[in-house]
Amino acid sequence: MTQRASIPMALALIITTLGFATLIFVQEAKSPPLIYGAYYAGTMILLYLGVRIWLPHADTLLLAIVTLLTGVGLVMIYRLTYEVPGVENLATTQAVWILVGSGALTLTVLLFRDYQKLFAYKYLLALAAVVLVAMTFTPLGYEVNGARLWLNLGPVNLQPSEFARIALVIFFAGYLADTRDLWAATSRSFMGVQLPALKYFGPVALVWAASLGLLVFEKDLGSSLLFFAVPLLMLYAATGRIAYIILGTLLFAVGSYATYLLFPHVQLRVSAWLDPWSDPDDAGFQITQSIFNIADGGLTGTGLGEGFSQTIPEVQTDFIFSTIASELGLLGATALILAFLIFVYRGMKIALLAEDDGSKLLAFGLTAMFALQTLVIVGGVTKAIPLTGITLPFVSYGGSSVVGNFIITGLLLVVSENAGKQPVEEDKEAGEYATEKVTA
Amino acid sequence: MNAHLRRTFYFFVAGFVSLVGVLAYWQVYAQESLATDPSNSLQSQRVQSVPRGLILAGDGETELARSEEQDGGTYERVYPEGPLYAGITGYWSTRYGASGIEIGENNNLSGNGEPETLDELLNQVSGGPQAGNDVELTLDPELQRAAYDGLAASSTGRGAAVALNPQNGEVLSLVSYPSYDPNNIDENFSDLIEDPDNPLYNRATQGLYPPGSTFKVITAAAALKEGVEPSDTFRDNGTYETPGYTVYNYQAKSYGEVTFEEAISKSINTIFARVAYEYVGNQTLAQTAYDFGYGDTYEGFPIPVAQSSLGDIPPEEWVKGNIAQISFGQGPVTSTVFEMAQVSGAIANDGNLMDPRLVREVRSPDGVILDQPTSSVRQNVLDEETANTLTDMMESVVEDEETTARIPGVKVAAKTGTAENPAGDPHSWFISFAPADDPEIAVAVMVENGNEGYKQALPIARRMMETYLKSQGELPNESTTAQPPAQPAQPPSESTVPTTQPAQPQNADPFAPFRAPNQSPGRNPTQPPSQPSNQPPGQPPNQTPGQPPVQRPGS
Repeated sequence: MTQRASIPMALALIITTLGFATLIFVQEAKSPPLIYGAYYAGTMILLYLGVRIWLPHADTLLLAIVTLLTGVGLVMIYRLTYEVPGVENLATTQAVWILVGSGALTLTVLLFRDYQKLFAYKYLLALAAVVLVAMTFTPLGYEVNGARLWLNLGPVNLQPSEFARIALVIFFAGYLADTRDLWAATSRSFMGVQLPALKYFGPVALVWAASLGLLVFEKDLGSSLLFFAVPLLMLYAATGRIAYIILGTLLFAVGSYATYLLFPHVQLRVSAWLDPWSDPDDAGFQITQSIFNIADGGLTGTGLGEGFSQTIPEVQTDFIFSTIASELGLLGATALILAFLIFVYRGMKIALLAEDDGSKLLAFGLTAMFALQTLVIVGGVTKAIPLTGITLPFVSYGGSSVVGNFIITGLLLVVSENAGKQPVEEDKEAGEYATEKVTA
Repeated sequence: MNAHLRRTFYFFVAGFVSLVGVLAYWQVYAQESLATDPSNSLQSQRVQSVPRGLILAGDGETELARSEEQDGGTYERVYPEGPLYAGITGYWSTRYGASGIEIGENNNLSGNGEPETLDELLNQVSGGPQAGNDVELTLDPELQRAAYDGLAASSTGRGAAVALNPQNGEVLSLVSYPSYDPNNIDENFSDLIEDPDNPLYNRATQGLYPPGSTFKVITAAAALKEGVEPSDTFRDNGTYETPGYTVYNYQAKSYGEVTFEEAISKSINTIFARVAYEYVGNQTLAQTAYDFGYGDTYEGFPIPVAQSSLGDIPPEEWVKGNIAQISFGQGPVTSTVFEMAQVSGAIANDGNLMDPRLVREVRSPDGVILDQPTSSVRQNVLDEETANTLTDMMESVVEDEETTARIPGVKVAAKTGTAENPAGDPHSWFISFAPADDPEIAVAVMVENGNEGYKQALPIARRMMETYLKSQGELPNESTTAQPPAQPAQPPSESTVPTTQPAQPQNADPFAPFRAPNQSPGRNPTQPPSQPSNQPPGQPPNQTPGQPPVQRPGS
């Protein structure tokens, strides 16, 4: 799995630098705190070099993609918050979060080099995940925009679901790897679907239901969707039974309809998705403004800093992709989507090349989480699917999200290191192909 | 397990490709319909985020419109001169569109045009803000003020005045009164639309009025071309008969034996009807009017001009009654004040009608001259000799009859008009140019329902000529005090002139500024809309057979 990525790394940093240079020119901005830019570039370079030393067989192209995405995110956050009262420091805060995320990645790489140990603690991790999410219902938790997603832990505010989901993927990977063979030994069937013995199915269903239930009551629709879909995909990957997907989709349909009936905020989201144009000043405001701005970009975009997407509520977090599509156009937005797809491709490659079931499922689960999150939020802001408030990985402003995604990257890196110790011919070709794609 | 993983990966790839498809739908396929969606304010935000260029008067100093930065980085359009220049600058609104120079020169003012300097090119390439270019007009501020004040003081307070430099076609002033304040147009627009005096309606370029006896200069030009001499004598016994229609002179006067020159100075309708019918003929009269600019939309002029017209009946179908009425500017003839200024200017400029110009120069924000239109002859209407003969005849109007139009030390050529119309008192017209031997200014003034030409329009035109000639050094400044008052000698006790009239013109079209010139309403706003366009031969227009003739047009 050895993959060097010095040139992609350099390109990612050059793109970021050019982005800032353009903004300073266009917005006639005072120089942004250059020292933060230097911290950022230095952090990413050190991170790359460190991983190359500690994990010589790892797929460092992932880091180049992370550099590109965080860099574009920084440029966009700076562009959207420059001299905007109240949020003028978000770009420097985000730079600090990237620093923290890099630290978390380094720790992950150093501590969990032998990530198989993690599977031994899978039940503990599952419990920790459920407890983390449940903590938002204690006095420590608080609501933002009607959703109770946040924990106030003294100096820092934390979105626990961003970390709980990593723990859950580890749990499912470990558990499904252990019991994979037993799932086939079924005794009963339900609606033509062969169900495994409750003994094996039970823990999965329990953890799944608990975390999902908590998130639904937190009104965190985006995370609920991910928590539902990722274990389902992992179950399919482990067993190869398409019936699980079908059954899951049915469950999803029933569950969605139930939440639609139960929660007014879900009804509001759905009606704003179906017909935002009927109420463009209120319920449909966010999505219509997003569409207007995306359309305004056209093929080549308005140019950095020349769009009007600042007026979209939550633009620097959930709707940052609207700004990118508006100012960089269809071409720029497609390039960014391709960067996400390359990350997903490399993640899948790691899963394919990993030796054991646990590693495969772990890499796959993390990659699927990343891919689905990107699809759900980009689909949401482009009105392809109903909007659910989640971040665009690495690009959106948000500390928990950035740190969480760095940890995901760290885990993928250690799995790839493990897989890379046995070089495979197919991998080399694939690696070269991917490098070309990035540099092209 | 790898097969399952691959399948899931294909599913993700399909998802990402679909996203690109959705983006392409919004950004390419649906882009235009979304950009024009009524709830989409991005275009107006974009427009407001860039300063538009200045609009300057001809002195290069007087700012007619400028963009002022507001809190939040947007710009607001400010018109320091208020209503004085509104008929030319128009207004700029992100809600109600734009009119006048603001839309006519929008490509220059908005900075959206092709980059013309290296700076502009760099700005466009880098996506930097492109400030609009400055547009300097040809208007003379003093003259504009004189025309505006004159119309404001007129008896009905409704009218228009246009002045040109006949030698190069530059528009020196253009006023429509009542005017409006283009500042804060967004707040006032609905009130302006409902105002019975239609201040948004440009009476100088959009208003179509019967030109009355001012049209006689066109008939006279056609007659001179056909060999009629100013010294030729004609006998007037007070009427001129056509089948079913009798031409009378104004106030039913009878003049006996007169020369053609006297016929124009005394404005004798019967002789013009006879000359037009017996010496000129339909085609020559129509062609002369077309050469002077009738039927022309003045495409290329930055503000839309309505088509002046000889009516819907083609010249080859005119009967005696038609040409008789047309010869003194009544019946189906309608004209803009702008067009009559062109007529005056063409005669003044040795028979050459110049291309009318309102823009003198376009400059980039840093002062680089981007465009400087040159003067050009639009149409050679008359040969020099004919034009000079006609000028002499128009001088006799001032020398022999309209003595109040005299300006000591300067020869003035002119023609009055008192245009009958079905909407009330006659419209007061005056066209003139001065100095007659080397004209520097040509003027047309019209006051709606102002009665005789000499009463309302003449004093305004004289004041405009004086103001301009003084500023050009043609007249000594102290002569102001030596002059008789600008008002006519007649006592202002014309109590028959009502000071308040119903809304005029009836068909005034407040949306005229939004129309392209060729879409402007072709109908004469002072004519009843029910007037049949094609009348049976032998039946004179506007005249019911059997009824005693009531028309006494022309002064």
